[in-house]
Amino acid sequence: MTQTDILSSEQEDLRLLRESVRTLFERAGGSDRARQLRDAGGGFDPEMVRELAEAGVFGVAVPEDQGGLGMGLAAGGVIAEEVGRVIAPEPVVSTIGLSLGLLRRLCPDHPKMAQLIGGEISLAVAWQERGPDGAPADATCRYADGKLTGGKAWVVGAIGSHGFLVVAEQDDGPVLVLAEADAQGLVIDKRTQADGSSLGELSFSGTPAAELASSGAVLTALAEAVADATALAAAELVGLSERAFEITLDYIKTREQFDKPIGSFQVIQHRAVDLNVMCEVAQAGVREALAQMDSETDPKVRAPIASRAKARAVTAAKKITRDAIQLHGAVGYTDEFDIGLYLNRALVLSAWLGDDAYHRRIWFEAREAEGAAQ
Amino acid sequence: MTDWNAMTDAEFRKEVRQFFEAEYPEELRHLPHRPKFAEIEHWHRKLHAKGWVAPAWPAEFGGMGLNAAKLLIFYEEQQRWGVNRGRDMGVQMVGPLIIKFGTQEQKDYWLPRILSCEDIWCQGYSEPGAGSDLANLRTRAEIDGDDFVINGQKIWTTMAHDATHIFMLVRTDPDAPKKQQGISFLLAPMDQPGVEVRTITTLSGETEFCEVFFDNARTSRENLVGELNKGWTMAKALLSFERIFIGSPSLAQNALGQLESFARGRGAFDDPVFRDRFAQAALDVEDHAALYARFADQLKRGETLGADVSMLKIWVTECFQRITELMIEAAGPDGGSIGPLQVGNVSVDVLASFYKARPTTIYGGSNEIQRNILSKAVLGLPG
Ligand SMILES: Cc1cc2nc3c(=O)[nH]c(=O)nc-3n(C[C@H](O)[C@H](O)[C@H](O)COP(=O)(O)OP(=O)(O)OC[C@H]3O[C@@H](n4cnc5c(N)ncnc54)[C@H](O)[C@@H]3O)c2cc1C
Repeated sequence: MTQTDILSSEQEDLRLLRESVRTLFERAGGSDRARQLRDAGGGFDPEMVRELAEAGVFGVAVPEDQGGLGMGLAAGGVIAEEVGRVIAPEPVVSTIGLSLGLLRRLCPDHPKMAQLIGGEISLAVAWQERGPDGAPADATCRYADGKLTGGKAWVVGAIGSHGFLVVAEQDDGPVLVLAEADAQGLVIDKRTQADGSSLGELSFSGTPAAELASSGAVLTALAEAVADATALAAAELVGLSERAFEITLDYIKTREQFDKPIGSFQVIQHRAVDLNVMCEVAQAGVREALAQMDSETDPKVRAPIASRAKARAVTAAKKITRDAIQLHGAVGYTDEFDIGLYLNRALVLSAWLGDDAYHRRIWFEAREAEGAAQ
Repeated sequence: MTDWNAMTDAEFRKEVRQFFEAEYPEELRHLPHRPKFAEIEHWHRKLHAKGWVAPAWPAEFGGMGLNAAKLLIFYEEQQRWGVNRGRDMGVQMVGPLIIKFGTQEQKDYWLPRILSCEDIWCQGYSEPGAGSDLANLRTRAEIDGDDFVINGQKIWTTMAHDATHIFMLVRTDPDAPKKQQGISFLLAPMDQPGVEVRTITTLSGETEFCEVFFDNARTSRENLVGELNKGWTMAKALLSFERIFIGSPSLAQNALGQLESFARGRGAFDDPVFRDRFAQAALDVEDHAALYARFADQLKRGETLGADVSMLKIWVTECFQRITELMIEAAGPDGGSIGPLQVGNVSVDVLASFYKARPTTIYGGSNEIQRNILSKAVLGLPG
């Protein structure tokens, strides 16, 4: 095969993957399903998780010899975009990026790997901690004698998960442990988010947990997994933005005021064009970033690429969903119209793993450090 | 009766501040939602007893008779202390209209009831097909003996589910040559079989606005304000007043105060980029207040405001939105969480502020419509 043949056959793979995931979500009810799950209390659907697993979704970026599809982050991005389009609440990005991202790097033979890939369980990853001023702070959560003490904050997917992958400190350095969801001395404080999902604030008091990995490798793997999840969250925002834009475009074509469609007013037309350009730029940037992350192994290079993706995707999603509300007028401010669901999901995904301002800073700092090293 | 306008600005500010700080219930400060009347009734009673329900109305009708400068101070202090505006559509919208266009009987009957909140009003202008194009409204009112009979539908009626009366624009002459003609201004009671209210849930899960259906609802012919078929001109006459109110710095100032304490508590000011963006927002608010004062002075001199007043609304609502977006940024990983966020001894409901800021560019004449007005009426652009 020539280079172009390989490229186009890869793209063919991704196209097929996109189609199968899109069909799966559409058959299950598209964005209506997200609304129903939110109204039912903000969880996700375990049956959907199993169906996604059958389509190979969770193992997409896990190497083939570890039981995955070995298609890389670019394929993960395709899936994430589709998740974003229908604002599906299942923990897809957090599983591909965080929980499997950690396990495949630290303990690829652990039986939980296969269960995660098979959609039998989900595991939430807990690593950040809240300081006294409410902002993120240095980690103090301890692991000793098989037990955890301390707390973790902003844990995505805490409700409904089968257990927690907790990054903690022990005497000789960092450690990754697994605490079961019903473990003794584990208290989960639930904080509801704009899209109805919740974040968990965990507190451990002598909570039993099993050690999975230790030493400096834990923090390296964590940084890598967080970078993966960050870039995938960017792809999810791209899909979300595209769909929000399509909904809005349909609306301005049909809503009439002053005896014509509001989309016939030039100011609305220019606005729509700007949003479309914003969307395309974000899609191109994020897809390129994911492909680059697949061909790059140096974590110091991969991290700022992920930041580039998230910064762009958050900026675009914020602008697009907020303008979408404006272009809808009062109906955009109702719960009945779907566009509000997209705004709310964008708020949540933007805040998760750092917003655009945060990632621009990280990107710039990495660039400066690289310049200094040369 | 105190002549507030005779006081120095500083004296007046002190007086207002003291009253709010001493009397306003702590649990109602910076309410993140629009309260039902019952929730703020005890506060309204105090305000009523003090004679401070209608700061802008002339004293002869039970208002404070404040001039524009004093009014500005009053609103500033209200916002500073997080004093809820209460159910003020009667005071802000229908009252001034009755004062300007109503008969003596209408003034004598309705105005005291507005002040006491015996009647609580909602605004029935918009319809499904009549938003920006308000003159497209279809709700009909036909004369039948001593009554008008009303049929049709209003929508986006804020707090209609907690109102006793609705002031509305209705079509009384469907055959008029222009849409803007044949519209009248009516007052109607809500508590009757022909009126049905359905709440609409907002994207943040609140029920603040409603649909109101009229099926042979009735209101007395005495409840027509101004001349029959002249409602449009009257409603327009009120608009410039409404626009200076809606363009006042208060919402943005209040949000800025919340942003400052929240950002400081969260350590966001350690970041020079954030500091710059905060400074930008703060200066946007300050300079807007300077422009606002210019319009307020015009009112103070007894002049009527021109179309250029629209610029106040455009500037302040967009500034308000940016401020709430900065709050979200300062919240970091909490930026998607609903409910109050604690920092030190203050708690700030970041998303509630964000949601509150979104529709300010939609209602009261959307910002696109305001820009259309400015480009034509002020800049004289063709089209
Ligand atoms: C929170 C909230 C509270 C409200 N409370 C009340 C109330 O109490 N009583 C009441 O009567 N109404 C109320 N409204 C309704 C409000 O007045 C209308 O939403 C407003 O007039 C806009 O109409 P619309 O929503 O139908 O949007 P549309 O008119 O359909 O506009 C949709 C979009 O098109 C744009 N657009 C329309 N025409 C043009 C044009 N010619 N040029 C360029 N752009 C254009 C608009 O700016 C907007 O972005 C409320 C609305 C909200 C959101």
